[in-house]
Amino acid sequence: MAEPLPLVIENLSFRYRSRSELAIHNISLEVQPGQVVMIAGASGCGKTTLARCINGLIPRSYKGELSGRILMQGQEIEKLSLSRISQMVGTVLQDPERQILGTRVLFEIAFGLENLGFSRPEIIQRVEEALARLKISHLKDRETFNLSGGEKQKVALAGVLAMHPSILLLDEPLASLDPASAQETLETVRGLADEGMTVLMVEHRVEDVLRIHPERVLYMKEGEIRFDGPPEQLDENVDYSEVKLPVSVVLPLAAQRVPTQPIVPATIRQAQAAPLVQFENVSFGYDVERPVLQGVDLTIQRGDIIAVLGPNGAGKTTLVKHAIGLLKPKGGRVLVNGQDTHHLSVAEIASILGYVFQSPSHMLFAPTMAEELAFGPKNLRHPPEQIEQEVQQAIETVHLQGYEQTPPLSMSFGQQKRVSIAAVLAMRSRILVMDEPTAGQDYKNYMNFMDAILQMPGFEAIIFITHDVDLAVIYANRVLLVNGGRLVADGSPAEVLGDMGRLHANRLVPTSLLEANLEYFPVTGKFMRVEELAHQVPMAG
Amino acid sequence: MLVTWRYRERKSLIQSFDPRAWLIFFLCFIASTLMFWDFRFLLGLLAVALFFIFTSGLRWREMRRAWLFIGGFVIFFSVLTFLTGRGGMELYTTEHLLAKYQAGFTILGWRPTLLVTAERLMFSLAMLVRVFSLASMTILIPYSLNPSLYGVAFRGLGLPDKIAYAMDLTMRFIPTYGRDFSLTMDAQRARGYEMDKIRGGLLEQVRKLAPLIVPVTIHALAGSEDIIDAMDLRAFGVGPRTWLQELKYRRRDRILIACGVLLLLLSTSLSLFGVGKFWVPAFLTSGVPLL
Repeated sequence: MAEPLPLVIENLSFRYRSRSELAIHNISLEVQPGQVVMIAGASGCGKTTLARCINGLIPRSYKGELSGRILMQGQEIEKLSLSRISQMVGTVLQDPERQILGTRVLFEIAFGLENLGFSRPEIIQRVEEALARLKISHLKDRETFNLSGGEKQKVALAGVLAMHPSILLLDEPLASLDPASAQETLETVRGLADEGMTVLMVEHRVEDVLRIHPERVLYMKEGEIRFDGPPEQLDENVDYSEVKLPVSVVLPLAAQRVPTQPIVPATIRQAQAAPLVQFENVSFGYDVERPVLQGVDLTIQRGDIIAVLGPNGAGKTTLVKHAIGLLKPKGGRVLVNGQDTHHLSVAEIASILGYVFQSPSHMLFAPTMAEELAFGPKNLRHPPEQIEQEVQQAIETVHLQGYEQTPPLSMSFGQQKRVSIAAVLAMRSRILVMDEPTAGQDYKNYMNFMDAILQMPGFEAIIFITHDVDLAVIYANRVLLVNGGRLVADGSPAEVLGDMGRLHANRLVPTSLLEANLEYFPVTGKFMRVEELAHQVPMAG
Repeated sequence: MLVTWRYRERKSLIQSFDPRAWLIFFLCFIASTLMFWDFRFLLGLLAVALFFIFTSGLRWREMRRAWLFIGGFVIFFSVLTFLTGRGGMELYTTEHLLAKYQAGFTILGWRPTLLVTAERLMFSLAMLVRVFSLASMTILIPYSLNPSLYGVAFRGLGLPDKIAYAMDLTMRFIPTYGRDFSLTMDAQRARGYEMDKIRGGLLEQVRKLAPLIVPVTIHALAGSEDIIDAMDLRAFGVGPRTWLQELKYRRRDRILIACGVLLLLLSTSLSLFGVGKFWVPAFLTSGVPLL
């Protein structure tokens, strides 16, 4: 008798109790053992819902109407308890921060086994095994709170592996990782699949996942599977403006299309103008032994579009928090518009420098989006007629027309993120600072709003922190590399990103777009997006 | 993610105890303190609390914020009690005047008068000492209990698995809430929000606090949903749980528990016999009672 397949889904549909439309409909799927299956698609396409059906959270934690069936190794999971399912499917959630419960790595990995009532020696043995398998035995006694993003992701994975699942379900495992950590995670996953584990990976970052050669790709849209096949056929079936595909695939396709209008940033370079922000030998630390920033010298000029890159925990956020005066330097000084931040209140700086925080959930509070967006300008005492106009324009920039009266708190994460950006755009500060503006957003969405933000008049400089090298390639005219609390590189994208040794030292991985841009740089003289590149270099592809 | 208190291992007396023993002693101490209003007894208890503080190896720098916050609060209320003479009414019936200060002006015919009586003085002193010894012991908790032992300690005290783990999460929720609050505060300040400019009536003030309260609350709710999912996905609560860490009572733990229980028994019997009630030194009550 043949072994039953690890996973069979038949005609699965689900509607959340609070929604009127189906989140997924008529999904059917058979998965072979030892394969990596990537599930791609834009936000709201139903991929997370599908993942929740597979790991049993639907219908056990999320209520609604479920039809169809899921068989796992021949057993219908509807009849199984969550504990039984959790031993068959190991789930790693999007953000390891949201999954880790234990205070120390050892206890975090042991958590599932403790719950299943294993004996102590057995738990210890399995934990050691999982640690060794992911090559993180050295982390065993560390506090989970002090781990880097990549380490957290691996610890979360180890906690799941220790339960010996036959299927591994990863929901956007790369979202919060720096490029090198993302690559390590992907390689680990590939290794697990090669050992016989079935891997389902929900991920926006299609190009990255393609590097580990998934056996199969599913593309979802509007709750349905629109494409199901080998990755080589992806380009014929999926529009490259919806998911990020490798440059080698996109170039010939883009060359056949009508050239898109290049995006011209509204900020204008003025070398002679007075600097907007100056860091003079800035150092900072919460305690003396561990400095977070050391000896940072930096001048932000009018017209700068700066990408700040660097590994998790390098001090990027700490650096930009100094510019708005939320943190004051322990050594050296920061000048905004020529004034020392020690003598300015955050509210005073806010009218010059707008700061979009990483997590939208830390700032959204108002009953409607319009009120949310008016909050900043009101605090800055803008006149009411002007506020109305500012709010309207901010809404248009982030493409949220029609949602004016919607409570931001009821929106999806991607929409909330855009509201949080609009809330700062409405303040009409002269400098815009964004901390990971694209995290958790799908490709098409973030490209659209980044285009819109750059073309928005009124900003004298734009600064964004990101892990996405391509964002720096496409949008920045200046790149800062931060590592270990120091500014290790500052220059044009070509200068900073052209040095492979430096990229590796700072946990960055060259993307296909960066490689193509470097290759054609002698011809083009500047970095550009793939659609432009296709028309600039006729022989490309 | 749940963050933990800044616990650090030190070679100190309190950290040398088993967390269960320390928790039992802590509860006995708190219960005992609450039985007394006698200044002399309370001073004794404060001495015990201070003994633990001074042997804890904690530096002033680490505790400063907690102390300034609690200290400011306690002193403010003690002074307020003293000035108004309210609060101790059920403990004493007569008052003995020590001094009387009258303001040189009247407000709408009312002349502000401060009566310094022996009872008011002793009551506010007793309150000060009482709250300070409770606070000293409580401040020590996050510094003396290893966060990775919270769950197993509560389990060891006889709580069921689920409740013990819930207590563990609750203990860690407090610093997490604090972190979320400061993040939200920063995010709103970056939008020009200033808390010191909040004025107006009570309702108006609450309304103006919404930019802080709403995100922090929503974040806490969403965070707890994530925690529940993460626990469900790893089979929490399906049956009897193994706790990987093992706690073992040693001699010193038994001694500490014995001390705690003895203290509680002693306090209970003393207060049953009416000892340790509100006390005013005799030399202060020689004057004429004030009714």
